[in-house]
Amino acid sequence: MTLQVTKVVGGYSQIPVLKEVTFDVQDGELVGLIGLNGAGKSTTINHIIGLLTPFKGEIKINGVTLNEDKNAYKKQIAYIPETPILYQELTLKEHLEMTMMAYSLDHDKAWKKANHLLNIFRLDNKLDWFPANFSKGMKQKVMIVCAFITEAPLFIIDEPFLGLDPLAVHDLLNLIDEQKAKGASVLMSTHVLDTAEKYCDRFVLLHDGTVKTEGTLPELRKALPDAGESLDDIYMSMTRADQHE
Amino acid sequence: MNNLYRQRLSSHLKEMFKYLRLVFNDHFVFALLIFIGGLGYAYSNGLKELQPNLWWAKPVIVIVLLLVLQIGRFATLYQDADVVFLLPKEAEVRQYLKGARAYSESLAVVYELFGMFVLLPFIQVTDAMSVFDLALIAVAQLLLKDSLFSLAIIRRFQVKSVWLKASSWFKWVVPLVILLAGVYGMPIIGAVLALALSIGLRVADRRYDAAPFDWWQAITLENNRMMGVYRFFNLFTNVPMLKGAAKRRRYLDWLLNIVKIAPKNTYLYLYSRGIVRSGEFSGLYSRLTILGMILLYFVRGTWLPVALAALFLYLIGFQLIPFYWQFDDIVFTHLYPIGEKQRVNSFRRLMFSLTGITAVLFLIMVFVANQNWQVALIALVVELVEVVLMVQYYLPLRLRKKK
Repeated sequence: MTLQVTKVVGGYSQIPVLKEVTFDVQDGELVGLIGLNGAGKSTTINHIIGLLTPFKGEIKINGVTLNEDKNAYKKQIAYIPETPILYQELTLKEHLEMTMMAYSLDHDKAWKKANHLLNIFRLDNKLDWFPANFSKGMKQKVMIVCAFITEAPLFIIDEPFLGLDPLAVHDLLNLIDEQKAKGASVLMSTHVLDTAEKYCDRFVLLHDGTVKTEGTLPELRKALPDAGESLDDIYMSMTRADQHE
Repeated sequence: MNNLYRQRLSSHLKEMFKYLRLVFNDHFVFALLIFIGGLGYAYSNGLKELQPNLWWAKPVIVIVLLLVLQIGRFATLYQDADVVFLLPKEAEVRQYLKGARAYSESLAVVYELFGMFVLLPFIQVTDAMSVFDLALIAVAQLLLKDSLFSLAIIRRFQVKSVWLKASSWFKWVVPLVILLAGVYGMPIIGAVLALALSIGLRVADRRYDAAPFDWWQAITLENNRMMGVYRFFNLFTNVPMLKGAAKRRRYLDWLLNIVKIAPKNTYLYLYSRGIVRSGEFSGLYSRLTILGMILLYFVRGTWLPVALAALFLYLIGFQLIPFYWQFDDIVFTHLYPIGEKQRVNSFRRLMFSLTGITAVLFLIMVFVANQNWQVALIALVVELVEVVLMVQYYLPLRLRKKK
């Protein structure tokens, strides 16, 4: 089991945003983290990548918590943020080299992989540019390339589809499939429900800091029989029901 | 709209005073005051040796006036979001600019008069002018500045006239001609020409009353101006707003390539590129180093140069330390599976290299100025001890304190 989030209570200040959140991501599984703005998706992600410390509960990646072994824990995560974050002063090539050094990757092997990815995302002729000046979509591609050269067993992807062109969305989904086949786990938060419905193996529906429902699409349908067929229907009925409470 | 400018001005002034307070608290000012005092002293000494009717006196007057004329920019206080939020209020943009002009121009009058005041003794010694003529030159200078503000407003509208948009023409060439006429010819001619220019540009501005406002241009110009202001304050204190675009500086790649690509160099790789390509810290470092070198060139003696070199070296090291946290807002620096210790070591190596280079440059200056092996030797020992103390003991102490 790659990622195990157990009864995590957490947030930014004293007031908890997450209330006993529990879910897991198995090896080779793509789990969609679904929820409204403010439901706690980003907070959950920030706890997993170690920017926030849970007040209660624990998060394990392949059996290791952050407190037990900081570097072993961090080494297992590849993270793609919602808003691309880049070094102003580094070229595209240097971003890749930074990643290789930070994760102690084999230089030649990593470059082979990087060139392949750069080629897919049509960035191979921009190695000497500052990606900080790229468009949103191209910056996002740089984030993807940096994440996918790490060979990390756990990918945390925060809303990857906005700003990417349709071709790149496809390429990203293919890459995720490749990684899954190799046994890596992916946790992806998104609002693009129809894509999520097609590609995710399982869903975690967050609402108001708690896990509302969790499971595969048939399981969700079974849990909410009147809601409808698609993930969109299920999700809408769930949030609506919640507003009436 | 008038209120909006007033509001912005008051928060702008608040911010400026905050920085001014920081500037005048920092011990850097101490060094600067010595520098300015020394300059004043040298100026008054130099004046004593001048005689009237020097051939280069008039060109110097014209050039200084022309340079002083460029001080004091048009502060519109526009912000990036204005292109969205003020767009519907475009009709009232003129009113807003009126407030901006009143503030900017009154500040500029102070600068111009101060420039004249500094130049006055020089004019008196070299070119005995009557008080009336001096006043006329001051009037011409102020009118020229007024023209530049009219031009600044025109530039912020979508004006097609290539003639008016060629800013260097009105900023440099026309004022140069008018100042030449005033200083070489008759001051009254200069004043009349300046008046004509001032009226002419105000009329031209009126003609474009209905032209659409150029939001991008206005915002870019204002951002550039604020950048300059921040950069100035950044000489003395840390300015968080200053996030200039990185410069590639390809010619320094050989220096960066010294850092071998290896996991233990991750942060050294980042820090070295950051310092070379970012405007703020490299600017800070090079300006302080150059200022120190100039100062050391003029200072003679045994202990004074050594003490000044040590002081400047300390200031540079001290100002570099915040660079350690430069990349903290980039989430990946928190995600890298790298211990804090490695990062500290990398930063130490960077600081050692930078202060080391400065120390060598200072040492050369001390030797050139004094031509004395003994003084240079003392400076060498003191600097060496200082660099080691700073990098080995002071830096870790400061880093720990912050946490």
